[in-house]
Amino acid sequence: MTGKWSTHNAEKTCWNCPAAELKGNIDFRACGQTMQRLKLMAEDTEILIRCRRRPELGYFEPTITFKECPEWELTEYGYLLRDMRVLILGIDGYLGWTLALKLGALGCQVSGVDNFLRRKMVREKGSMSVVPIASMKERLKAAKEVLGVEIKFKKIDILDRPKLGAFMKEVQPEAIVHYGEIPSAPYSMVDADHAIKVQYNNVIGTLGLLFLMRDICPEASLIKLGTLGEYGAPLTGRPLFEGIFPADAVLRWRGREWSLGGELTPRDPVSFYHVSKVQDTFNIYEACKYWWLRSYDVMQGVIYGVHTDEVAADPRLRTRLDVDEWFGTVVNRFVCQAILGMPLTVYGEGEQIRGFIALEDAMECMVRLISSPPEPGQYAVVNQVSGLYKVIELAEIVAEVAEEFGYPTTIQKLENPRVEADLHPYEVVSENLPLLFGFRPKVTPRLEITRMFELLTQPHIVERIKKVAHAIMPITWWSGEKREPAVLDIFKPKTRPKGPYKPTLHTGLKPTIYVKAAKRAEVKRRREAHR
Amino acid sequence: MRKKRTLIIGLDGVPHALLVDLAGRGIMPNVKALMGDGVLRGMRPSIPDVSSVSWSSIITGKNPGEHGVFGFTNLIRGTYTLAFHDFTKLKAPAFWQADPSKRYIIVNVPSTYPALEINGFMVSGFVSPDLGKAVYPPSYIKYLREVGYRVDIDVERCRRSPLLLFKELSDVLRARLELCKRMWRKVKWDVLMFVVTGTDRLGHFLWSAYERTDHEWHEHFLSFFSLVDEAIGELAGMLRDKDDIIMLSDHGMERLKIEVNLNALLASEGYLLLGDEPRKGYNNIRAGTRAFALEPSRIYLNLEGKYPRGSVRPSEAEDILEELTELFYGLKWDGQSVIKKVYRKEEIYHGPSMDDAPDLVLIPNEGFALNARLSKREVFKESDLTGKHNEDAFLYVRGRENADLVPDDPSVEDVVGIMMALRGR
Repeated sequence: MTGKWSTHNAEKTCWNCPAAELKGNIDFRACGQTMQRLKLMAEDTEILIRCRRRPELGYFEPTITFKECPEWELTEYGYLLRDMRVLILGIDGYLGWTLALKLGALGCQVSGVDNFLRRKMVREKGSMSVVPIASMKERLKAAKEVLGVEIKFKKIDILDRPKLGAFMKEVQPEAIVHYGEIPSAPYSMVDADHAIKVQYNNVIGTLGLLFLMRDICPEASLIKLGTLGEYGAPLTGRPLFEGIFPADAVLRWRGREWSLGGELTPRDPVSFYHVSKVQDTFNIYEACKYWWLRSYDVMQGVIYGVHTDEVAADPRLRTRLDVDEWFGTVVNRFVCQAILGMPLTVYGEGEQIRGFIALEDAMECMVRLISSPPEPGQYAVVNQVSGLYKVIELAEIVAEVAEEFGYPTTIQKLENPRVEADLHPYEVVSENLPLLFGFRPKVTPRLEITRMFELLTQPHIVERIKKVAHAIMPITWWSGEKREPAVLDIFKPKTRPKGPYKPTLHTGLKPTIYVKAAKRAEVKRRREAHR
Repeated sequence: MRKKRTLIIGLDGVPHALLVDLAGRGIMPNVKALMGDGVLRGMRPSIPDVSSVSWSSIITGKNPGEHGVFGFTNLIRGTYTLAFHDFTKLKAPAFWQADPSKRYIIVNVPSTYPALEINGFMVSGFVSPDLGKAVYPPSYIKYLREVGYRVDIDVERCRRSPLLLFKELSDVLRARLELCKRMWRKVKWDVLMFVVTGTDRLGHFLWSAYERTDHEWHEHFLSFFSLVDEAIGELAGMLRDKDDIIMLSDHGMERLKIEVNLNALLASEGYLLLGDEPRKGYNNIRAGTRAFALEPSRIYLNLEGKYPRGSVRPSEAEDILEELTELFYGLKWDGQSVIKKVYRKEEIYHGPSMDDAPDLVLIPNEGFALNARLSKREVFKESDLTGKHNEDAFLYVRGRENADLVPDDPSVEDVVGIMMALRGR
């Protein structure tokens, strides 16, 4: 392990630990017991637990800290449960496979399911991953050979509850990472069949999972991939809090005031895919309330990038990179457009401000969340971003790096096929990850985009990018039309004035701390490149 | 010809005074009939008078310093982690373990979880988190399921509704009696021990319903004890005349006036220093703490070398114990003294487990219920409960001719010896 050791979760206790089996409450004043694990406990009672990993302790109160417990080992991401059993739904995907390798390399016992739907849906678009990816069989073999990581995999559709349940009983997960959803806004807007498919897969899949967790592994934490897009971009400029209003939030109306502290913040999804994420949020919130399940709802910003140390260790370990209209995220598509000599496309003014996070930083966030489980009954939200950018700003960064790699490019504004404001205020609170989980972003857009060019300009990948060029431009309109949006403007980067809004990101840290970590990583990378 | 058998009936939390009262009033006619042919005495419970300690002394015949149980909980050695007592940790054999040549049916003795191997059948009593582990032989769990057996009422549900409380009390008792009768017929036995714990639960929640005849639930209270009496009558009626009957309680019950939080007191007097994380329970104890309490009334010095943040040196112990003794004797509520007696461990315990014994044990005056809640800051607090334990336990032995076997002032540690002596006759 390199880097500074992180002790953000040292003082967490058995109360957070998935190995602690909640057995009930004892009321010594009344000499009584209640073994209804799911009951809201009265204040004057003792909680009774048994540790699945340390049965010799018998029944005890959940007060041993991670620091004191020999089952929790210190890593650079915090204390991590030794041989933690993590189940990844959607393990074959862009994020799922990357996380599986990261966790395996950290010593977790990783298992995963996938139905390879992503591969099929990308083919449906007539596209493919521009980074060649191995079959799951080859991936598993390579993971073992190269990283010494053994992953238990089963081909299962999460909608097949009996099969999923049987696998969960077999692996007894202590954490479940749910990446097993259809992650595309444009895909969900193609037509009724696609919208229904997205919502059915995502919402019903998650709902079924919650029932399975209740019955099979109620102490496991659910780390669920949500999206920052759940919140929309309120034109009032109201900050996007982390899912729940803070204690000092107040509603005023007609001279009266109410505290909003602890209530779910409004959601304003921007596609039927985003609606499915909002539905998930409510289902998970309720399940935590009814059944004392525990969950982090990860409102992830737009993901981009290709690099972690694990996926870069061998070509067979590479994770997929989609650049088509449905599954390609904006920065990934920009890089490929530059390589193809296409103008980088922004919608409308390109002033949409979004949260972004590079693959490597996203994986670090997930590890930190997994290593610091929520409490029983806790539904918590993290806004997972490492920076806020206007789409056009990112286009300009891509264009800068592209120039350095010998791919000069332009930017073009297209009619916006989506229903969204392309000029709006944007203020995001993302304090939980830095303050509670010790996260500091290490990857700037420039760093990751540079890594992307280094990888994607390899000749065999350029060939693949050329083959999918036809699938990159948007044709899916939110209105239902299917046509390429008209070009409104083409220009050289940094030649158009920016709009009036500037994003504000609250991390709870001094700005310099946040930036310094990223800069240190950048300097390190450049030094290594020069050696 | 069948050998003599011994039936032991435990009535958890039933005071001698109540038994005599209800028997006299015709609420418990079977008990009255038994009293007519036997010896009934008040019995001293364990110190402290909690079920885990008392029942452990009853079934082993030993002092807590010998059997190692001083409360429902203890700190795991070398840590501040609060662990719950379990049967595997009992350091002296229960009578059925001491003589495995005899055969036993043991039903619902508190603090006997998990159920261990026995020549016969047993089902553990409170606290039993998993019914599957509370039964020996394990395959007999099917009989428990058949009768709808439950170890205890659900105290969380019942505290909200007296109606539900009485329903659960009678359901649990009926199922327990039915199981006992089935095992009686199925399993060969020499000693059968059957403990009713609903009497204690009822006493805690609704002692006021016993004391006040105008109480809304007074008749229900009496009806439950009638049901208990019927159960006693049924079991006694299945015996032969020469069989022994021992009936007893582990402690008594009285009206609860006010709850007294010993850890809140220690914190307010500077003996107990706590950090800011109540979630950590006793792990929240900070360095510099001199003493802390465990339920209900045990005081431990935070000794150097014994606890992770222990800071009391052996040379300081005596002075601190004296200070604490003075503090406790000086504690008053509404002009009344709270503490009747402060015991040093050497005064009341003996045996190889003295290192685990509390340094002080407090006996409260009437009406004061001591507790050791760490999460609360108030020393005195009104309670939602109306009954608390007291020292008024009872012991009954059938047969006036057996009076010589029963000391004038028996304690819970005498029961095994009395049983053995009876069996020897």
